[in-house]
Amino acid sequence: MLNSVVAGLTSGGVYALLGLCVVLTYRLVAVVNFAMAGVGTMGAFIMVSLTDAGLPWPLALVIGAAASALLSGLIGAGLVRWFGEHDERTKAAVTVALFVAIGAIGLRLFGSTSTGARRFPTVFDAPAFTLGDVVVPQSVLVSLAFAALITVGVGLLLSRTSVGLRLQALSERPASAQVVGIPAPRLAIAVWVAIGAISTLVILLVAPRLGGDFSTLSGLVTTALAVAMVGSFRSLPLTLAGGVLMGLLEGFAASLDEIQKYRGVVPFLVILVLLWWRSRNEVWDTAHSR
Amino acid sequence: MKRSLTSVVAVAALAVASAACSSDAGSADGPIKIGSINGVTGLFQTPEVPQAVKAVFDEVNKNGGINGRQLELVSKDDAMNPQRSTEAALDLLESEKVVALVGSSSAVDCGLNRATYTNAGIISMPAIGVDPACFTSPNIAPVNPGPFKLITAMLYYASETLKRDKVCMYYTVLPGSGGGIDAAIKEWTDLTGKQLTVKDTSVGQGDPTPYLVKAKAAGCQAILYNATVGPWFTQAKTQGMQDVDFIVAANSYTDANAQAIPDGLNVYAGTEWQPYTDETLPGNDRWAKVIDENKIQKTAFSQGGVMAADLFVQVLKTIKGDITRESVTEAFKNMKPIDYPMVGTPWIFGPGEAHSPIQGSRFVKVEAGKWKVLPEGFIVPGKN
Repeated sequence: MLNSVVAGLTSGGVYALLGLCVVLTYRLVAVVNFAMAGVGTMGAFIMVSLTDAGLPWPLALVIGAAASALLSGLIGAGLVRWFGEHDERTKAAVTVALFVAIGAIGLRLFGSTSTGARRFPTVFDAPAFTLGDVVVPQSVLVSLAFAALITVGVGLLLSRTSVGLRLQALSERPASAQVVGIPAPRLAIAVWVAIGAISTLVILLVAPRLGGDFSTLSGLVTTALAVAMVGSFRSLPLTLAGGVLMGLLEGFAASLDEIQKYRGVVPFLVILVLLWWRSRNEVWDTAHSR
Repeated sequence: MKRSLTSVVAVAALAVASAACSSDAGSADGPIKIGSINGVTGLFQTPEVPQAVKAVFDEVNKNGGINGRQLELVSKDDAMNPQRSTEAALDLLESEKVVALVGSSSAVDCGLNRATYTNAGIISMPAIGVDPACFTSPNIAPVNPGPFKLITAMLYYASETLKRDKVCMYYTVLPGSGGGIDAAIKEWTDLTGKQLTVKDTSVGQGDPTPYLVKAKAAGCQAILYNATVGPWFTQAKTQGMQDVDFIVAANSYTDANAQAIPDGLNVYAGTEWQPYTDETLPGNDRWAKVIDENKIQKTAFSQGGVMAADLFVQVLKTIKGDITRESVTEAFKNMKPIDYPMVGTPWIFGPGEAHSPIQGSRFVKVEAGKWKVLPEGFIVPGKN
């Protein structure tokens, strides 16, 4: 059982990264982005298609990330242009539609579960150390470090810099921000572009562990939302902790024969429990600001 | 005069039309209609299967057809949707009046329509039998071994050919197929007297590391596996499982998967027909010719399409007299076994309440991102 829990913990970093991407988008541009994993997967698949075609991986990585950034920027521009005045629910619904569309296009371009499996670059695949029976590869440490970097970096950006201040203004009161002279649409689109590129990096780190085909990877957004829920779409450190918790729970679920076949349900269970917890505590829910 | 000629023509046209309407299943003239239900859209996509069947029928038609009659394939897409699958079967039987179903490839057809086929006295020979009902129905006989006979062959290969003592199974299962898997394991146990070290049918999505760690702890030497290939083998390599023989099922036997498996691991795949990646193998030359000439996608499933169509034509040629639904069913129930080089055992429909004529599997192994055909030939449990 200890082995399974440790094995589960090794995926904590990648789960945290997925969750952080969602929280990041929500805090900066106030959109629950269902298309996040789909956009990142598009970039990741463009990258592996290029490396398969013989391009060196650093160049392919830049092109893939740029493609994702462009796609994400376009989505952001569309949301700003046509849905700027709408509430969060409408924007979330738009990203759900985009998620379905990107999934369909990806299936068409890159194949299904059996025909579309790709081999992703495993740069950090060498073992770092062994814990019990579990070999912990460097990628686990890299994922955790990247997650910590996002948590601390974005935290500092928001609290210590003038750009951060403007971003906060933008996400909370976009109309007022524009009135006081913050170039809201341009800033928002820049954030979307950055998030697109980061999503690709995250999907590339996640892919060797969680899936090699387009639909599986773009579907990881459900896991990401569950993790983001732990941080109530607001706290980056709690989201990081939520990722580790998710890995822990999965490892634990896999270690017990009675419940292991329900392992896939873990993210949904976490979402349900947290929703219930928050709805019974109205004050907490209404009092928070983003 | 002109008017009366028009009316004569009109009456004649009406007569012809009504004759066409009243013609019953398989009249003695006109094309022989054959049906199939295929997943073309939806989650289980096999558009190449009806294309392959049609290609074989076109070839027969070009050479004069059967007793001067043309073969016409009516393929319906069920999109893996139960409602559409049921409707497709009724449409084929009632409206199209097909004489048989040949080359179906649907994940839901057998289970839903088995009773319909039995009641209508029509036979179905799917190119790909997926669910257990395809192999346990009186009027259905697929041309592939199917997932369950394949499990027996994979287990047999692990314990008898690779001579591994601790054989484990990590599978993901569709609802309703658990019984089929247990029966397949029992067949292997009855043949060899051996037991599985681990049987785990809970593999799903998510990080596979916990499963791999458990397999390591249990000392598994050979592991049967049928779920997502990429992450499983990437992490197996990370966990240092280079000395384990992994055997994946036929659904993983694709070019993309061979490339997704990292070097240094021992990964075998059980195939249902002669491995399609080597066109020099017996039977594959014929298949490759049909597929190439018609520019169809080369997959293992298309082998099933060509095989089903070939066997159907062969049996059809033995029918003396009218080709009707009744005469076709009778011919298949009374047929003699046919050796077809693309599979391990002869194919026969025959009488009986259940048909699973094809057994055994031929194995391929990943080497440097490609599937390499292994020399042993077909492994038929109990015979090798």
